[in-house]
Amino acid sequence: MNTIAENIADFLKEYPPFDNLTFQELSAIATNIRVLNLDKNETLFQINDKLHDCFYVVASGTINLSVIADAEETLLNKCHTGDVLGLRPFFAKNNYMMTAKSREDSIVYGIPITTFRPFVANNPDVLNFLLESFATNTWNPKEKESLRGKLANDNVFNLDQKSEMQYFQSLNYNRSPLTASINDTAKDVAVLMTENATTSVTICQDQLPIGIITHSDMCSKIATGQFPLTVTMKAIMSSPVVTVVENISLAEAQLLMLKNNVTHLCVTLDGTDKSVIKGVISEHDLIIAQANNPGVLIKEIKRASSPKDLKHIRERLTELIQNSIHKNIPLSNINNIASEINSAILKRAVELSILELGSPLARFVWLSIGSQGRKEQLLLTDQDSILIFEDVLPDKYRDVRDYFLKLGKRTTATLEKVGYELCPNGHMASNILWCKSLTDWTKQYDSWMNTPGENSNDLSSIFFDLELVFGEKKIFEAIENVISKNQEHNSLFFDFLGNDALRKNSPLTFFKKFALEEEEPYKGKFDIKTRALMPLIDGARLFALHFNIKGLNNTYSRFKQLAIIDSKHSDIYLNCAEAFLTLSKFRVNEGLKNENSGQYISMNELSKLDKEKLKNALAPMKDLEELIKSNFKLTQFS
Amino acid sequence: MLDWLKNINKEHPEFWKTYLAKFDQKPKRYVVFTTETSGLNPEKDVILSIGSFAIINNKIHIGDNFESILLQYKYFHDNGLSNEFILESKMKKLGEPEAIQSFIEYIGNAVLIGHHVDFDVEMINNALERLDCGRLKNEALDIDVMYRKLVDINDKQFSLDELSEIFKLPKNYRNSPSEDAYTIALLFLKLKKKLGIK
Repeated sequence: MNTIAENIADFLKEYPPFDNLTFQELSAIATNIRVLNLDKNETLFQINDKLHDCFYVVASGTINLSVIADAEETLLNKCHTGDVLGLRPFFAKNNYMMTAKSREDSIVYGIPITTFRPFVANNPDVLNFLLESFATNTWNPKEKESLRGKLANDNVFNLDQKSEMQYFQSLNYNRSPLTASINDTAKDVAVLMTENATTSVTICQDQLPIGIITHSDMCSKIATGQFPLTVTMKAIMSSPVVTVVENISLAEAQLLMLKNNVTHLCVTLDGTDKSVIKGVISEHDLIIAQANNPGVLIKEIKRASSPKDLKHIRERLTELIQNSIHKNIPLSNINNIASEINSAILKRAVELSILELGSPLARFVWLSIGSQGRKEQLLLTDQDSILIFEDVLPDKYRDVRDYFLKLGKRTTATLEKVGYELCPNGHMASNILWCKSLTDWTKQYDSWMNTPGENSNDLSSIFFDLELVFGEKKIFEAIENVISKNQEHNSLFFDFLGNDALRKNSPLTFFKKFALEEEEPYKGKFDIKTRALMPLIDGARLFALHFNIKGLNNTYSRFKQLAIIDSKHSDIYLNCAEAFLTLSKFRVNEGLKNENSGQYISMNELSKLDKEKLKNALAPMKDLEELIKSNFKLTQFS
Repeated sequence: MLDWLKNINKEHPEFWKTYLAKFDQKPKRYVVFTTETSGLNPEKDVILSIGSFAIINNKIHIGDNFESILLQYKYFHDNGLSNEFILESKMKKLGEPEAIQSFIEYIGNAVLIGHHVDFDVEMINNALERLDCGRLKNEALDIDVMYRKLVDINDKQFSLDELSEIFKLPKNYRNSPSEDAYTIALLFLKLKKKLGIK
């Protein structure tokens, strides 16, 4: 009888594969468990370490699994409570092929292989689970069905699966190409190619590439009998070769191949044929790289037939975002791609609802508002949307409205399943307040904009960041016109918005320290969303409306555009644009780290340099505030 | 005061000699333990239960444990207490002599770890005295002292609950000495690393 062993058995039976075992079996296993404590960033095992005699289950905390490729650490997976890791000793003899490091203070159970092996042997379900986990390296392989069928793959990490950003980044290609000399015979070279299973051999002289032999050369010149098997390379090689620099992008490589009508590119040190050969890019490399790009994700979204499919795609988007941030791709680019994919998901969600409910009874438009409306939704934040349907005859009105409410409810429910939380303020098309006919919406905007402050507690500035997701463009344009018409000579409205923008709490205290949250659960953290990002977002929106900038919803591009239009203050706008990107990056990093919306930054986890960076990014806000104060009369609402 | 004189001529029990012989070697493991007692006076009060785990190479070995309820019928009878909880518990039950003997055999030369461990050691020593044995020879470390050393606070003691809170240990509903010992073991592993004890 061992109290703790029973407690651990109780814990284990909640998680696969242990849920297949009886409590007695689990108690027996638990008795042999060793408990390890890992401090933050402590390594459990790393690449090339000798195999441990046990595998691990996370009892609390998070363990990151990563591989190091090209001196870069790539995160493969995060293991949370109940996840199994370090299964390699079960199936293989060679050393660990990845690194397991705790992301926070963690406790893990080490289960000795010798203890567990009998249970595996006697229980096929357990064996299958372990095999699948091992092969796919995810805790619950049933959720990642696309990775199935790789059970025999000893390669725990499959870099190609993860490198979705290669489209923008350099290609993966053969970095140790086969070479032959000019005097080698065709037969020898063919043997060489066959042995190495490659499609090309570079012909070098003094290490410099002078020509190339490919499958098609062999086909057209030897197999046809045009040349004998003993002919030397000199006679049949294609020369000169097309050479490129290292780190060429996918798009560039594609262009060069098309332009020169070749199937292989030779990579050299400085990109000319007068330097040492470094590798060969084949058409096949391009195909592999393209299989994992945002375009493919969007195609998959269009084919998705259930919330589960969408969820899976959204997970891959997170991965893509994480990788691109890791690789220092400009945040504004990532934003664009992510928002395209996000709106494709939203669109598909609406389509799925229509497929279920039958075709809509009237023309309508589904709009994103808030962060998705501004195309700034990198993390899974909450959903904000409205629905406008065309005016119908009074006797049909009720049916039509009911239909669209149903549509709204269904779609928001789908999106919730995908992982977008419901808006806590109810700013969603499933809400009867925000699912209205065009006339009602026109009235709504009229009243918001002409009598702000009166009976408009429900006015949220996010209603002025609109993005078309699905439906009739005409309705969308109509409502845009209502907004722009209403804002002419409407100082009252701007004063209201200006006041609203300044109402946010200042990010720094009187003593220039970060204003941290004082109440649990976020005590000691910095609320980057309300204290730093919102003022910039509000400011950008205010000026964008003021200068009547249409079609740009993004805070970053709004500032950029403002710098052009209002050139007097362009410095301020440009600083704000940069600051916005920096702050967003902080938030995204925090969000990815903790798998939440990243609203609260843990200051004690930031390095000194990062803190300084963050503080500097808060500086332009002051200037923006001054600018708002001098442009609008704010007294009316204070 | 002159207790040791009393004992000097007494013949120690066999298990005690074996125990002493173990100290020829350096300790390889730690034993985290805690006792549940009838009160706070080592002279008068008795141990009601013991829970303990071994730590080897920074790993808590769940199987290498000792837990037992001590059947203190005499003490209960003398003080007019109910022994209901003993009957209800599913833990192993031993009389005090057997329990103390097994415990001594279990700890061997290990370094003892506890929370306010002096008291626990004193309780064991008093029980040992009743068995004609000497005092514990094991080195003992106190996690409260370790924590205070880490943060450099001298004027305050920390309870086990406070320490668990500080180190954000997953809450568990502790109601047996084994569970306490497990918590102490986790705290010890954390403190050990932070203080750089090998």
